[in-house]
Amino acid sequence: MRKRGFLGSFVSLVKVSDPARLVEAVSQGLDLAGFRADAKANSVVIKPNMCYYWGADTGQTTDPRVVSAVIDVIREKLGKDVNITVGEADASAMRTKWAFPVLGYDRLAQEKRVELVNLSQTPLVERKVHVGSREIAFEVPELLLKADLFVNVPKLKVMRQTKITCAMKNVFGAIGYRRKMVYHPFLDEAIVGINMVLKPHLTVVDGLVGLGAYPVKLGLLMAGVDVFSVDWIASQIMRYKPSSVKCLKIAVRERLGDPQGVGAVGESVAEFRNVFPKASFGLGSLVGLQTRLLKLYSRIAGDVVPPFLEDA
Amino acid sequence: MVRVGVIGLGRMGMLHLVNCLKMDDVEVVAAADASKKALNRAKSLGVEKVYADYHDVMSHPSELDAVVVSLPNFLHFESVKLALESGLDVFLEKPMANTVEECRDIVHLVEKSGRRFMVGHVMRRLDAVERLKAGLDSGRIGGLEVATIEEIINGPFAHPRVPAPVSDWWFDPKKSGGGALLDVGYHMIDLFRFFAGDCNVVFCSLGHKFNLPVEDGAIVVLRSRSSGAKGIVNVGWFEQTMFPRFNFRVILHGDAGFLNSEEFIPKNLYRYAAKEGLKNLFRRMVGKDIRPLSYTYHYEPFWLELKQFFSCVRDGTEPPVSAVDGLRVIELIEAAYAMCGKSPE
Repeated sequence: MRKRGFLGSFVSLVKVSDPARLVEAVSQGLDLAGFRADAKANSVVIKPNMCYYWGADTGQTTDPRVVSAVIDVIREKLGKDVNITVGEADASAMRTKWAFPVLGYDRLAQEKRVELVNLSQTPLVERKVHVGSREIAFEVPELLLKADLFVNVPKLKVMRQTKITCAMKNVFGAIGYRRKMVYHPFLDEAIVGINMVLKPHLTVVDGLVGLGAYPVKLGLLMAGVDVFSVDWIASQIMRYKPSSVKCLKIAVRERLGDPQGVGAVGESVAEFRNVFPKASFGLGSLVGLQTRLLKLYSRIAGDVVPPFLEDA
Repeated sequence: MVRVGVIGLGRMGMLHLVNCLKMDDVEVVAAADASKKALNRAKSLGVEKVYADYHDVMSHPSELDAVVVSLPNFLHFESVKLALESGLDVFLEKPMANTVEECRDIVHLVEKSGRRFMVGHVMRRLDAVERLKAGLDSGRIGGLEVATIEEIINGPFAHPRVPAPVSDWWFDPKKSGGGALLDVGYHMIDLFRFFAGDCNVVFCSLGHKFNLPVEDGAIVVLRSRSSGAKGIVNVGWFEQTMFPRFNFRVILHGDAGFLNSEEFIPKNLYRYAAKEGLKNLFRRMVGKDIRPLSYTYHYEPFWLELKQFFSCVRDGTEPPVSAVDGLRVIELIEAAYAMCGKSPE
């Protein structure tokens, strides 16, 4: 089942006009992407994106309905008794114990009879990798390393620091250590590094709502067996040249992926790209400058700076 | 000189601390917080005595005149009780306490102690709100018929600039006393009382989109006891709001016209900040007093309310927001909860 290699692979794009038919869309997406389930697989871990407490409608977090459809399709392929776990790790500002109820995953777990797991509280093992000249250490959930089937269910969205955040970035979210902001000074390298350690067998992207300059109802479902290939196509949809996305460039350099052979099947990239609201981070990069100006102003004028503005 | 202890150094407490440190005639004697990081920060700002336990701040009451309390809700009552019994004046962040019973005890303690006591009903000091009140009082819109008052924010889920997890007490009804209605609705209900006088609750609906033990939204209808004017309060924690967008507005509908807070709130907060900053620089150059935090628009009221409190402490006058005001808001919130089948924890 584990399809590895330096050549990219096909990524399927499926239009979801009616969320009630998500199971059909996921099934179709998996078939188009050439995913073949290992019939012997017994332990399945699904990793959605719950980066924060903002609901699926904002485009920030994975819609539990997509995860629900993935569960149905997996059961269809592997049998109803297959052991399925939905896992997410804590983040610097997010605690899964609150994200699960707030984002609707408690309800999903009840309805689908799956276990919810805080990956930060499962046994973690240290893994070190070299990305370029940098050695990076990660605390990785053993559960994901041992899973027969690791399904990555990211969002399709933009992020100031990395331009795009999709398949590879969602794997970064699985790092067990809570304060992942320690990786932010070298985030692109860290994203590539963790993907050298944790390798999802399947990625299903929730693009029902995409997040660019603002959230947009895209009605898109993507699937692929290779995170690099998924991100390569995703960046095109989000209107970034893949070669301008730093983590993809590093991934190529580190031979985690190869754009040769990457292709989209199903719907056309243009259909989604044309409606995706491209984000511009021009002013955002001035946040640091704003803070410095504020401090300078307060020194000269003798004014107060609210501490929470000064912290940036 | 007012000698003050700052108790609780979370988001609001830290703002109160830096404000106190900048004020003339105020000396910060001590600060307390359970977080070591917050205490280190207070030290770096020049506070000499810092304590992990707030009781220690009040262990030598003769060294203090007043305390500024910004602890989590469930510690409001016991900390205020201790401060008043120690003979200290108290500025308290809202809510006054978690239950009507605790609030009544505070009212009693304030009367008995004769100390100055003020709750941070800060929204009254927002420039737009002051202008609405002035417009209403001047008769510009005639008699008030209906006020719609709303604020939808991210509440405890607001993403801090430096990532930090939300504290668990927010979602424990025994500790927080409630959700969005107590947190945001407290201010909005206070505003209706500010405009229309005391009132009763006639309707309440709570939202639970997030499936948490506390509500994440509430719509409450109030009716003024004196004029019969209605207030529609709409609050929530469910929206991903980010600066400079601020989802707050008040519309006062009268029989001769209406007033909308959006007429008074700057459209472009960046431009406003630059303008106010330049004004302060000019004031400083010509030797005049600056208007602290005016450039932030929304945080200036925190300076103003604290300044007013210390002025009352110095003059021995009654603060503009009394313990009874705090009690009434909690009585109304409890009545609203009761209407939705929730009893106080």
